Amino acid sequence: MLLPKFQFHEPATVEEACRILGELGEKAKTLAGGTDLFVNMKKKVLAPEHVVSLDRIESLAELGFSNGTLRIGACAKAVEIAESDVVKNDFPALQEGASKLGSPLIRNLATVGGNLVSARPAADFPPPLMAYGAKVVLRSGNGERTVALADFIEAPGQTVLAADEILESILLEKPEAHSGSAYLKLGIREALEISLVNVAVCMATEGADGPIKAARVVMGSVGPTPLISASAEKTLLGKKPSEALFLAAGEAAAMDSRPIDDFRASADYKRAMVKELTRRALARAYDRARTE
Amino acid sequence: MKKMICLTINGKEYELAAAPNMTLADLLREELLLTGTKKGCELGDCGTCTVIMNGKAVNSCLVLAVQASGKEITTVEGLETDEGLHPLQEKFIENGAIQCGFCTSGMLLSAKTLLDKNPKPDELEIRTAISGNLCRCTGYQKIVESIKDVSEGR
Repeated sequence: MLLPKFQFHEPATVEEACRILGELGEKAKTLAGGTDLFVNMKKKVLAPEHVVSLDRIESLAELGFSNGTLRIGACAKAVEIAESDVVKNDFPALQEGASKLGSPLIRNLATVGGNLVSARPAADFPPPLMAYGAKVVLRSGNGERTVALADFIEAPGQTVLAADEILESILLEKPEAHSGSAYLKLGIREALEISLVNVAVCMATEGADGPIKAARVVMGSVGPTPLISASAEKTLLGKKPSEALFLAAGEAAAMDSRPIDDFRASADYKRAMVKELTRRALARAYDRARTE
Repeated sequence: MKKMICLTINGKEYELAAAPNMTLADLLREELLLTGTKKGCELGDCGTCTVIMNGKAVNSCLVLAVQASGKEITTVEGLETDEGLHPLQEKFIENGAIQCGFCTSGMLLSAKTLLDKNPKPDELEIRTAISGNLCRCTGYQKIVESIKDVSEGR
């Protein structure tokens, strides 16, 4: 299976990458991990004249935590995120998302930025990142702008990224005290699986035993983009955590989901699984909030 | 236009010209005749093209030859030393973990990166480490047992 021919560019800096992309515009595709791009090129879905690799730009691969903000370079590999101590301790849902993506071989290549820019409805990175309220930093030759991840992904395969822009980094604020989060993925098999349904949640309680003061439920594979369930949030806010409450939030999330019938599963089944995964993810997140 | 690349494969340095659209898997197989690296799905799903690049097991069908420039690559041909086969290779043979053999190169390399990083993995860690490598013959059991045997010095 041959890759179509293309001209290859390997800029050494973000500035150089922006300049090349600015000149080439729509004729170029940006290469991060290649696990989506090369598959699409081999299948002849894409045949860009130019490929601009971000592989050699070291600053894009960095992962740093300071003053409560985690900054993940867009070209950080899934494996680095899955194995980062900061991510494990403070952003467990992100750790779970990173470690469920593809296979170990894919995780050694695939990048978080590539996963976001590909904008597949079943992708593993967007739900946990959106649950933490992540922002993305976009850079072009004209400067940078910061956009909420929830606004970044517009439709399947479509984001607000302009042809001359690159996704530079992802910013996450460390959740406040008494917070917990979790990501659950349902598939037929454990590895190399595209989610039937996935759910990420992040919640915080007032003090150790108080009512819920913040909650976010994000559902993947059940709409054209990952969806934030406003009804689940409304159900949870101001209430004391309980199994019954988590079940009610699951029902609310299922109502907000917009799954379709496809070869993977029926819409009814996916809706039922949104309910169950939401319930379980909330229970796990609450456990974590208490044992923090 | 071809680009000059310089890389280390199984401890030996190479300077080669590669077309940008040539994958590392094709460079190894077609240019260097290192055909121990297999090509199955060519889309990153099967793991038969697994090689170790700078210490990490990757699908060589999803890496360009030009991206491998400056990197250190180990293929299955690099596992054997003057002392003989790698312990994993010995155990795979002894335990009958090889049937048709098509997945074996990839399995061995995924297993090697696991043991290099985690010399005493539990069974779940072993099964996770080879979860990107498909085998249609063995049912995985003897592969898992072989990796376990090596880790426990059996």
